[in-house]
Amino acid sequence: MNYFPEEVIEHVFNFIASHRDRNSISLVCKSWHKIERFCRKKVFIGNCYAINPERLIRRFPCLKSLTLKGKPHFADFNLVPYEWGGFVHPWIEALSSSHVGLEELRLKRMVVTDESLDLLSRSFPNFKSLVLVSCEGFTTDGLASIASNCRHLRELDLQENEIDDHRGQWLNCFPDSCTTLTSLNFACLKGETNVAALERLVARSPNLKTLKLNRAVPLDALARLMSCAPQLVDLGVGSYENEPDPESFRKLMAAIQKCSSLRSLSGFLEAAPLCLPAFYPVCQNLISLNLSYAAEIRGNHLIKLIQLCKRLQRLWILDSIGDKGLVVVAATCKELQELRVFPSDLHGEEDNNNAAVTEVGLVAISAGCPKLHSILYFCKQMTNAALITVAKNCPNFIRFRLCILEPHKPDHITSQSLDEGFGAIVQACKGLRRLSVSGLLNDQVFLYIGMYAEELEMLSIAFAGETDKGMLYVLNGCKKLRKLEIRDSPFGNAALLADVHKYETMRSLWMSSCEVTLGGCKRLAQNSPRLNVEIINESESNRMERNEEDERDKVDKLYLYRTVVGTRKDAPPYVRIL
Amino acid sequence: MEFSNSCSSFSSSSVDSTKPSPSESSVNLSLSLTFPSTSPQREARQDWPPIKSRLRDSLKGRRLPRRDDDTSLFVKVYMEGVPIGRKLDLCAFSGYESLLENLSHMYDTLIICGKRDRKHHVLTYEDKDGDWMMVGDIPWDMFLETVRRLKITRPERY
Repeated sequence: MNYFPEEVIEHVFNFIASHRDRNSISLVCKSWHKIERFCRKKVFIGNCYAINPERLIRRFPCLKSLTLKGKPHFADFNLVPYEWGGFVHPWIEALSSSHVGLEELRLKRMVVTDESLDLLSRSFPNFKSLVLVSCEGFTTDGLASIASNCRHLRELDLQENEIDDHRGQWLNCFPDSCTTLTSLNFACLKGETNVAALERLVARSPNLKTLKLNRAVPLDALARLMSCAPQLVDLGVGSYENEPDPESFRKLMAAIQKCSSLRSLSGFLEAAPLCLPAFYPVCQNLISLNLSYAAEIRGNHLIKLIQLCKRLQRLWILDSIGDKGLVVVAATCKELQELRVFPSDLHGEEDNNNAAVTEVGLVAISAGCPKLHSILYFCKQMTNAALITVAKNCPNFIRFRLCILEPHKPDHITSQSLDEGFGAIVQACKGLRRLSVSGLLNDQVFLYIGMYAEELEMLSIAFAGETDKGMLYVLNGCKKLRKLEIRDSPFGNAALLADVHKYETMRSLWMSSCEVTLGGCKRLAQNSPRLNVEIINESESNRMERNEEDERDKVDKLYLYRTVVGTRKDAPPYVRIL
Repeated sequence: MEFSNSCSSFSSSSVDSTKPSPSESSVNLSLSLTFPSTSPQREARQDWPPIKSRLRDSLKGRRLPRRDDDTSLFVKVYMEGVPIGRKLDLCAFSGYESLLENLSHMYDTLIICGKRDRKHHVLTYEDKDGDWMMVGDIPWDMFLETVRRLKITRPERY
């Protein structure tokens, strides 16, 4: 390769998209490193505190697309306080004052402000795509800036964000000249929507393929929207609680008939099940169906719908589907690759006879869906026998996440722990990259994980394990481990400190409500200049005085991650960086 | 292996190590997950099961299957200093704005949400734990699930 001129090598590199491959390429030799840096267009930063914007820009001056992730994963479950960090503003400021021609920004779990969005919208004339996932800190005013100023906007994708809805006219801010939209997702907005502005926008966007509406878009508007966008591929329906009158329903059906490209459906927030038949004609083409917000769609309505979806590859559903419903899925959806079953009853208020889903449903799915590779399953009970069967049926799992709702719950038939069941999973699924375990578990399961889960990159542990050995088996065994998150488990300093260098091979470690102490964390931090060791003690503000500090105190929340830029300066007072 | 009642085993290592955060009421965690709903301490945890906030809110706000479609939720409304109260069907309103509008009309004075001050009549509510809370912090659907009665405070005088 070194006999070729740089332009040729660069041309070859441009066929390599995966950032991991790009990273490998840049390690081959100095000349490749140099060529690669100048032609890298997409950069992925899994932890925004591992590097800083200045170094990013210095190394990749030609970047067009940046992906940044901020808070650790457990922030999704309210375990990380809002002001912990993950502020995007410094990144946008730095990029703005550089020569970078940013076209795409994808953020996950970051704090974004209206000011940031405004600066973003004014700084990059070619900006095309903004994807915000689980972010917070901004309002619809920020969206108005994006709409007004980004002349070539193609994608505005807001997934699961906390957005302060000022009920303004942000949709009106898209100029009449804006006709380039391909994707618009504002499903997470809680306020009212200017439906007229939305209709005009959709009508002038012939390339619009993805449209996901929020709950404020009523049924008759939906029909009109679909009529002027028959090319839609991915639709998120808003909500329509009231039973439609026959005329509205007829119009909706007519509109849907024309949408022959529709492959993905979601939304149905508080939907009345009687509207579902309007969608029957498109079911046979659906690849993806997300009904996790459709708590009202259950029982026979749901079954009828699913029986029509023979080509489904991805299904997200609530556990009100029941084992019976999962048996139908197993019989119908032979192309199924990814299944997520979410809990619908958070308080245990509902009749226990309709006990959501159990091991029966899981086994049925594993037997019926040969292509299944990713599962997230919330259930009330599980058995080792079922897990062993699932492992035999589905050795191709890449992601296996099981959450038994009651912590420490054993095999409900044998009353034993579930170590053997999960052991079977990791032994059979040689390609497993992500695993979440639950139920009653000792250290044995971690021995199995350490021994067999050679490709494992992310492991989530909650209310599991007996002694430090458990955590040690994992740290010693899983060579490809990148993210380890642990809560409410009895792992302490001995496990934490056994192999400090391991953490530099990983992105991050999270431990909350475990047995690690302040002293242990301090010792860890002392030996590790390239790790940031953060202690989060929200409710301990009255104990912050140094003289009261006791090294034997257990730490509420520990988050450590590797970094090349040292301690961050933007942490709030209750986050202590050792 | 021997396994005792799951209620007590949950408390084994983590009773004290999860401290209440400002947004949660202080609760003995060994009770909250497996105790039946007769326990007065029972409070939904915000961090378990591990689902995202938006899904959690949507599940809390939904109607339980038992209720019929013609739901109504009558709550008592008091104006501070006025002994006789009123009754209001909260299901008649689509959100906080229409509620405030209606109350302002009913009491012929501007009523707002938010912190108490010297100028305004501020709406507060009693939730199902018996605590008096500021109106407007939580989504409307969630508010309907937890509100027990309303009180309109008078402007503060020092």
